[in-house]
Amino acid sequence: MVNAQLLELISASIIVSALYIQGQAYFKPTIYAQAIQSALISVLAFYLGFALNLIDYIILGITIVVLRSFIITYFLFRGLKAKPGIRESTRGVASELVVNLAFFFLAVFILYYFVLGRIGLTTEAGTATLTIFSFILFFQGLFLIVTRRSTIAQIIGFIEEENSIVMFGILTLPIPFLIEVSIFLDVLGLVVITSLLTLQKLEHTRLEELMG
Amino acid sequence: MALDEALLIETIIQVSAAILLSPLYQGIYEKLKAFVEGRRGPSFLQPYYDIFKLLKKEVVVTENSSFLFIYTPYVVFGIYLLISFLIPVVYPSPIYLTPTVDFLGGALLFSLASFLKLISSVESGSNFVALGVSRVLSFIFFSEATLITVFFGVALITGTNNPYVTLHYLTQDISHYLQLDHVLITVSFFMLWLFETGKLPAESPGLSEMGMIDDALLYEYSGKLLGILKWGSYVKQYLLGSVLLNVFLFPWLLQTGPLGALLDVFIMFLKWLLLILISVIINTTLAKLRLFKVQDFLAVSFILSVFSLIVTVLIG
Repeated sequence: MVNAQLLELISASIIVSALYIQGQAYFKPTIYAQAIQSALISVLAFYLGFALNLIDYIILGITIVVLRSFIITYFLFRGLKAKPGIRESTRGVASELVVNLAFFFLAVFILYYFVLGRIGLTTEAGTATLTIFSFILFFQGLFLIVTRRSTIAQIIGFIEEENSIVMFGILTLPIPFLIEVSIFLDVLGLVVITSLLTLQKLEHTRLEELMG
Repeated sequence: MALDEALLIETIIQVSAAILLSPLYQGIYEKLKAFVEGRRGPSFLQPYYDIFKLLKKEVVVTENSSFLFIYTPYVVFGIYLLISFLIPVVYPSPIYLTPTVDFLGGALLFSLASFLKLISSVESGSNFVALGVSRVLSFIFFSEATLITVFFGVALITGTNNPYVTLHYLTQDISHYLQLDHVLITVSFFMLWLFETGKLPAESPGLSEMGMIDDALLYEYSGKLLGILKWGSYVKQYLLGSVLLNVFLFPWLLQTGPLGALLDVFIMFLKWLLLILISVIINTTLAKLRLFKVQDFLAVSFILSVFSLIVTVLIG
């Protein structure tokens, strides 16, 4: 039997880790926080795997923990090129956090009342409302990409978005096949992108990539 | 009739404990902090000595200041006195005047007192105070919002705006205490309390250095008015800390009845020792925050309180 409170606790910890990443300017703790966030998602998968006696979740959990917590973390650290204490020059963390709050607060309530409340999503574990956490994580990742200029923070934002999709898949029981496959491919793609991008340069100016 | 007498005794015990014992906790905090830092430190009765000394001294008022400057300390102290009737700061059941306002009303009264303190400080006409007020305002736009959100969140969790119901609800079952929304809101309120009472390692109210935040408001005050304001701030610290202990962090052990009320004073003393120990550990072990980082700290506190609201409303 699935304990909804335990799922709630793990999901909330994932959101707290995302908020920590948003407020943290130093790269090293940010990368570690991303590894912890991915590990928490794998804990979610393991828990459901054992609670529902489904091997799919266990495999998914192992995949996530290996690819995201270890391999991506390794590549991100390699991208840092072992510079100690390196940080992004962020300003106005407080105002960023408040805008972020307003952003996901509104988005979540709109989603809840106009989408989730209307489609009547039902799951085996009765976790339909818990999927709201995955939306919060998604908007959080999106906001991280928008507000940061460094390659590493943007990749972490992308990983957060990926994590949110996985989380949505995990919480929407039974696990959709599409998500299983896409996670595997996405993460493999992520590893390649990460290793290439972080080797290029550490920080980007605004709209640089869009210029011809 | 007997019931009313009991209620009267409980009321007297709660209010007098809040008013008279509040400087003691500040004294114990300073003494313990000095002990951790390897200093002898002032006596734990020093806040009382300071208040008595200031109450005996004459008041010096600048020529530019208006009547607000002179009367606000009394009004602010009166507001804190009123709040000590309203929330469970010693006794776990309603006393006289408790039904006057609810939890949110208590938060608004705290905000009113802060607002009056700011306005009256500016009325002194001093440039330095104006600088201090603008600095304080750049922080408290977060802290007051968090205070109201936290009290709002507590009201949502229990479905009522009465702190006594919250206290009862939390002590009923450990699962109520461990609810995710309650945990988040407790962390948020604890962070707020650290800021509101100057326990953050960002400022040193005792040294009155450049980083001072709250002391800038009292800069032009002297004598009796300063004494009343200082006493008021000790009472505020006691009220907020006791709400934190009784409604959020440690709601158990409180007794009822007139004798129970006396015992509650002692129980609150023990709870406060625990809170002081925690705040001394935080204040002395963390590296000193840069001043503008206080905003970030408060933003996190605000976000946690709003996140708790989301969890309460959407997950239940």
